[in-house]
Amino acid sequence: MTFEADVIAGLPPLRRYARALTGDAAWADDLVQDTAERALVRASAFRQGTNLRAWLFTILRNLYIDQYRARREIAFDDETAPWRTMEAPPREVDGLVLRDVQRALYHLPLEQREILLLVGVEEISYQEAATVLDVPIGTVMSRLSRAREHMRMLLGDEPSQKPTPLKVVRKTP
Amino acid sequence: MNDAPNDRKQKPPIDAAMLGAYVDGELPESQRAAVQAHLEQDAGASACVSAWRAQKAALQALCGPADKASAPVIVLRPRASRLRRFALAACWLLTASGVGLLTGALSSHIGTTAGPAAFAHRADIAYAVYAPEARHPVEVASSEEPHLVAWLSKRLDRRLSAPSLQEYGYRLVGGRLLPGDDKGPAALFMYEDRMGTRLTLYITRASSNDSTVRLLRAGGRSTLYWVANRTGYALSGAIPEPKLRAIAVDVCSELGGKPQAWQ
Repeated sequence: MTFEADVIAGLPPLRRYARALTGDAAWADDLVQDTAERALVRASAFRQGTNLRAWLFTILRNLYIDQYRARREIAFDDETAPWRTMEAPPREVDGLVLRDVQRALYHLPLEQREILLLVGVEEISYQEAATVLDVPIGTVMSRLSRAREHMRMLLGDEPSQKPTPLKVVRKTP
Repeated sequence: MNDAPNDRKQKPPIDAAMLGAYVDGELPESQRAAVQAHLEQDAGASACVSAWRAQKAALQALCGPADKASAPVIVLRPRASRLRRFALAACWLLTASGVGLLTGALSSHIGTTAGPAAFAHRADIAYAVYAPEARHPVEVASSEEPHLVAWLSKRLDRRLSAPSLQEYGYRLVGGRLLPGDDKGPAALFMYEDRMGTRLTLYITRASSNDSTVRLLRAGGRSTLYWVANRTGYALSGAIPEPKLRAIAVDVCSELGGKPQAWQ
C-alpha cells in the first residue's frame, strides 16, 4: 500500500477518537481533516518502519491541544456543552447508563480523558500511548489508574469514595 | 527486574498500575498468573478489575465502532511543488469514501449491522452496557423469577425460561426487556459468579432457522449466538471462549436447541 492509502485507512479510528475526545462532532471533523492534511503534507517526516498509527494520533493530539488552549472558554460541564447534543448512543441502550458514562467522561480532566480513550477505546498499546503522549511508560500506567479510579468514583461504583487501598502482597516461599 | 534466579524475592508488588496492565492485556504471562492468583484472595482488587473492565466496555459501547463507511474527504490545500502528489492523494480519498461528499459533510452514522449477526451485535452492546452496571443491572431481580419469566415471555410472545448456570458457579441476577428490532423486543437475562463476573443471555425473535453457533468478538467480550425454533439466542461474557462455549452448549440444549450440530 502507498503511504496515502495507509493514512486513509487510519482515519476511521482517528475520527472516533476525536469525537470522543472533543465531545463535538464538528470540531472532531475539523481535527481529522487537519490531521490528515498535515500527515500527507509532511509525509517525508514520517520514518518508514515506525508506527503510523501512533504518529497520526500524535499529530491529532498536538493539534487538539493547541486548539483547546485557544478555546479554553468551553466548559465541558456547561449546560450547552456540545457533547450533550451528540448523537444518541445505539438504540439497544436505554440511554441512561451510557449517559452516565458520557457525563463522567467529560468531567475528567483532559489528561485523564485522553488516556482512557486511547487505551480503553482505541486499544493502543502502552508503548504507543507513551509515544503519543510523550511521557514514559510508567506515567502512562499511573495516569491510567488514576483516570479509572476517578471515573469509577464519578459513576458511583466505588463504595468507599477513596482510592482502593491495594495491599502489597508478597509471596512467602 | 529480569534476574530470574531471584525471581521469588523480586516479584513486583501488585499495585494499581499492574491491575490496569492486567485489564489491558499488557502483562507477560508469568505476571498474569500472579495477578490472577492475587485476585482470588483480594476482593478489593478483584472488584477494581471488574469495575475497570466494565468501564472499558462501556466506553467502547459509547464510542461505537470506528466507522469505515463514512471516511471523510480530505481537502488538500495545494502547495505548488507538490501539487501532483496531493491530487493523487485526493483521488485516493475520493475512492476511499465511495461517494464524493462535500468537505466536512460527514454523515452521522449509527451502526446498523444487517444480516445474521445483527441480533448478536445488539446482544454484545447490551452486555457491554449492562454488565458493568452496579446499581441497576436488571429491571426485575431473580427473587421474582416466576414473574420475570412470565413478563418477558408475554412481551416476546413465546415461552421463555432462564436456564440454570449453577453448575458453572453463575447465579441468575435478574432480567430486563430491551428494544430489540422491528421484529419485536428482546429479553436479557443476567448471571453473575462469586467474583462478580457477569454473563448475559439475550433472547429475541429470529426469522431464519440457522442453528449453527457463531462467534462475535468485540473489545474483550465474546458472544456466541445461534437460532432455535425461530428464536435467536446470544450468550455474552468476558471469560475464556472454551468456557463460554461449554456453557453455551448447555444453555442451547436446555432451551430446546441442538448443540450436537455445532461440531
